[in-house]
Amino acid sequence: MSRPNHAEISVEHLTKQYSKVRAVDDLSFTVHAGRVTGFLGPNGAGKTTTLRMVLGLVTPTSGTATIGGVRYVDLPDPIRHVGAILEASSAHRGRSARNHLRVICRAAGLPDRRADEVLEMVGLHTVGGRKFKGYSLGMKQRLGIAAAMLGDPRVLILDEPANGLDPEGIRWMRDLLKAFAAEGRAVLVSSHLLGEMQQLADDVVIIAAGRLIRQGPVSDVLGETAGVAKVRVRTPQAEQLSAALRDAQLEVAVQPDGSLQVLGAEPARVGNVAFTAGVELHELIGEAADLERVFLELTAGKAGAR
Amino acid sequence: MNLISAELLKLRTTALWWIFAIILVPLWGLALGFNWLTMNAALSLSEADLEEAGLGDLERLVSGLYTSGQFSGVLLVLLLSAILVTSEFFHLTATSTFLTTPRRERVIIAKMVVAVIIAVVVWLFTTVLNLALSPIVLGTMDQPTYLGEPFVWQAIGLNGLAFVLWSLLGVGAGVLIRSQIGATITLSVVYVIGTQVLSVIFVVLSEFVWEPFMDLRVLVPTFASDLLISGPQLPDDPPRWVGGVILIGYAAVMSVIGTLVTKRRDIG
Ligand SMILES: Nc1ncnc2c1ncn2[C@@H]1O[C@H](COP(=O)(O)OP(=O)(O)O)[C@@H](O)[C@H]1O
Ligand SMILES: [Mg+2]
Repeated sequence: MSRPNHAEISVEHLTKQYSKVRAVDDLSFTVHAGRVTGFLGPNGAGKTTTLRMVLGLVTPTSGTATIGGVRYVDLPDPIRHVGAILEASSAHRGRSARNHLRVICRAAGLPDRRADEVLEMVGLHTVGGRKFKGYSLGMKQRLGIAAAMLGDPRVLILDEPANGLDPEGIRWMRDLLKAFAAEGRAVLVSSHLLGEMQQLADDVVIIAAGRLIRQGPVSDVLGETAGVAKVRVRTPQAEQLSAALRDAQLEVAVQPDGSLQVLGAEPARVGNVAFTAGVELHELIGEAADLERVFLELTAGKAGAR
Repeated sequence: MNLISAELLKLRTTALWWIFAIILVPLWGLALGFNWLTMNAALSLSEADLEEAGLGDLERLVSGLYTSGQFSGVLLVLLLSAILVTSEFFHLTATSTFLTTPRRERVIIAKMVVAVIIAVVVWLFTTVLNLALSPIVLGTMDQPTYLGEPFVWQAIGLNGLAFVLWSLLGVGAGVLIRSQIGATITLSVVYVIGTQVLSVIFVVLSEFVWEPFMDLRVLVPTFASDLLISGPQLPDDPPRWVGGVILIGYAAVMSVIGTLVTKRRDIG
């Protein structure tokens, strides 16, 4: 099923009102096949609630979420279409990982041997007989991935999968998700940590306080904010340079360490202004727009932690 | 069928079932011994003294012997049935379960089927033991086996019915209470001391408030269960079938409410 322009996940005007909080507020976005979509937002932004609504675990107050045009609960064999790894999902402490997977196989009408196949896939085949309570956080995450892979789904949804993984585990996860998308499947992965997303995501959906802030390819979202690129300069003649930069219509802020931060300019322009003003520079650093900063700027003041 | 198979596998792949089995055997043994002693004591009394001692007639005693282990067996089945549901929340497996089967009512129905299977297995297990040992016990007291008497088989059959109805009630209670510890404690307390405590309340109510309150006593599930199994004990007790109907009512109402609640509830 390779229909690159067909939206695999479609969220339309999704809203969830808890008694006190509007966790998700008229949120719409789409996720496409063959791409990794990063679902970003600070803690409490409504990511988990959104994903749980997409998966039929939480009932929306209004709006719809569909997968290939069908609501999750209406999918005939959902785990053959969608694999999900959620934060609070777990296994019975006293049950072995293999049996945990077999239970899912039985319920979904999959053969028991699928359990062994996915254990092999995530590198847990040698410890499949061990009880879940003996699993480390990293092993639990791998087991979660194994469970999500059972039905060989064309859509993968992950809620903060990097939590608790060591750097090696994170790299493993990243490669896995990229390979998954390269096979033409859709991947939606949430995170509040953005450094990781820049290397992983093709598209991003950024939310804060339950509302959509930006959606689009990573490069576009980064490009949009190129205007707020920053340059840091260090000079013994700070006052002179500030005046010259302001004369050149640039915004300057003095940092606590005495350096100057110049907004909306490239390093070359700042160097040029300094040269013209005859100011001596000790340091000139262009801070390229990175996702982390864009994200912080976009979500600043949007009541991150609620 | 897939879901029932999955639920049975869940049950088989944790230690719970055999812990319950290990508890059941000595409790059943105690019950048989207790019934033996009671009967021994009763046989030394005359018919009139029997009534006075509150032991009922011989028929009741023999029925009790052939349904030994009912009190503890039903309690264990009730708790296990509730835990089938509550453990999904206690161990956070509800997410995995409902992701695999988003039609949640199907999961609840599968759990009910498994609860009934557990009930029937425990009933069969205790009944086979009772059928093997009760004739020996009766023999030691120079009594016949009574196995030709319909009342014995009726008692055994009603015992099975009680097991099944309580297991359904357990699933319903598990869905409604959801907290593993809360459900286990509530059910144990209601089951073990509910009859006595609530009987006192009903006596007080009928004494001081309104006489007919006494008739409402049968609404207590354990009392309804006793009525179903043992028949009326006091002259103005309602007939046996009323107990059965009330117990079925509880099982049905709790199952339906429980299923509806589970369908609507947010998971996570
Ligand atoms: N079951 C719930 N009842 C009430 N409020 C909730 C519930 N679940 C989440 N919330 C609130 O909704 C908001 C969004 O939460 P969540 O979706 O978990 O955010 P994120 O996953 O982005 O950190 C938070 O303010 C959270 O406190
Ligand atoms: Mg979250």
